[in-house]
Amino acid sequence: MITTVASTEIPVHLASQKLFSIGDFGVTNSLLTGAISLLLLLAVFGYVVSMVKHGRYNRFVGLVQWAFEGMLSQIDSVIPDKKLARKVAPLALTIFFYMLFSYWMSVLPGLESITINGASALRSIAADLNFTFAVAIIVMVMVQFYAFRAHGAIGNAKRYLRNPFKDFVGAFEGILELIGEFSRYAALSLRMFGNCFAGEILLLIIAVLTSYLSVALLPAFMAFELFIGFIQAYVFFILTVIFTGLAVESHGSHDDHSPAAHPKKATQHE
Amino acid sequence: MLQNLTYLAETAHAEASSDLFSSLGINWQMLLFQGIAFIVLVVLLGKFVFPTLMKAVDERQAKIEEAGKAAAKAEKKAEEAEAKIEDVLKKARTEAADIVTTAKNEATQMIEKAESQAKTRSDRIVAEAHEEVQKDVLAARKTLEKDTISLVKKAAGLAVASVADDKLDAAVIKKSVEGAQR
Repeated sequence: MITTVASTEIPVHLASQKLFSIGDFGVTNSLLTGAISLLLLLAVFGYVVSMVKHGRYNRFVGLVQWAFEGMLSQIDSVIPDKKLARKVAPLALTIFFYMLFSYWMSVLPGLESITINGASALRSIAADLNFTFAVAIIVMVMVQFYAFRAHGAIGNAKRYLRNPFKDFVGAFEGILELIGEFSRYAALSLRMFGNCFAGEILLLIIAVLTSYLSVALLPAFMAFELFIGFIQAYVFFILTVIFTGLAVESHGSHDDHSPAAHPKKATQHE
Repeated sequence: MLQNLTYLAETAHAEASSDLFSSLGINWQMLLFQGIAFIVLVVLLGKFVFPTLMKAVDERQAKIEEAGKAAAKAEKKAEEAEAKIEDVLKKARTEAADIVTTAKNEATQMIEKAESQAKTRSDRIVAEAHEEVQKDVLAARKTLEKDTISLVKKAAGLAVASVADDKLDAAVIKKSVEGAQR
């Protein structure tokens, strides 16, 4: 998909473009940028971990540690079970840091000007639906896995499938929950993709519309995109944690939530 | 601009009607590859990176908690010590006040005793002195009396050596003595 704005051609592609092939496997621009983000992330964490292991600290290590600690405390506050929180942490933290690095790659100057085989060489992997969908599917599977472990197969199935003759409203609620289970992950991936993709387009349009003035204007929009990148990475991360927390949360029997059914609990709440 | 938007919408509609997933750029092979790559990344970071950072965070939190506990303990100890000091000071103040009071009382008593002793002694000395003086006066009087009598005797003896007898002598002497006594 290519469109033009004010007689200047702006390439707008929803799908990532193939740059070259390794055997049968086509390497796309988002994949290349994703690999660069990955290397950057590994380099940063490798450096920080080696510094921490040797007990040496500087401002950069402190900053990464501060961010890490902040995210970890968020997980701990959302998931009260500390053991489970520590199990969920690697996935959630990887999502946050990798999404952040990937999103910030979209702010790199010259993202659209460097081309290979006519296609722009760099495109943030967060602006590739394949990636955001893949991560959302992984999150969904992991959430189901933790819910399965917490409630068992029947307990987990009961969250969606209930006897309509016994509890009609509950059965309807279960169907809605099942639909919601898919829609929330679709929304999770589309939100990240949409923001990153729109951010790249926004920077391109600003650059084209403002021409030479873009030297002065673009930095402000780039800073804004960095901020949006942080927000989006955080949203993806915190929703992953919240979905896990909600899935493993014990509600007791679905048939009766009244305080009369749980006198002890009700007394405690009072 | 309107043309561009129309073009964009038309293209999107055409692509959506043909194949939604391919128009969105979803390639199942690519999705699977990226998913697996991401899982590998999660495993790598979860095994080699996050444990170290989590350990550091836990250690720091443990240290903070420990420091907090130590601070609370130290504060409690300081409060206890302060209370103890306050008690000791109170005790010391009371004791000092008692000592001062006792000392004052003792000093007063000693002064009073010394004063009374001094007074008694001085009274005694004065009395003794008076007595001595009285004695001296009496002795002097007696001596004077004797001297006077002998002088008068001599004088009278000399003046009336030839006419006076012993009776007259005695009368004259008595008169002289009375005169002397006055």
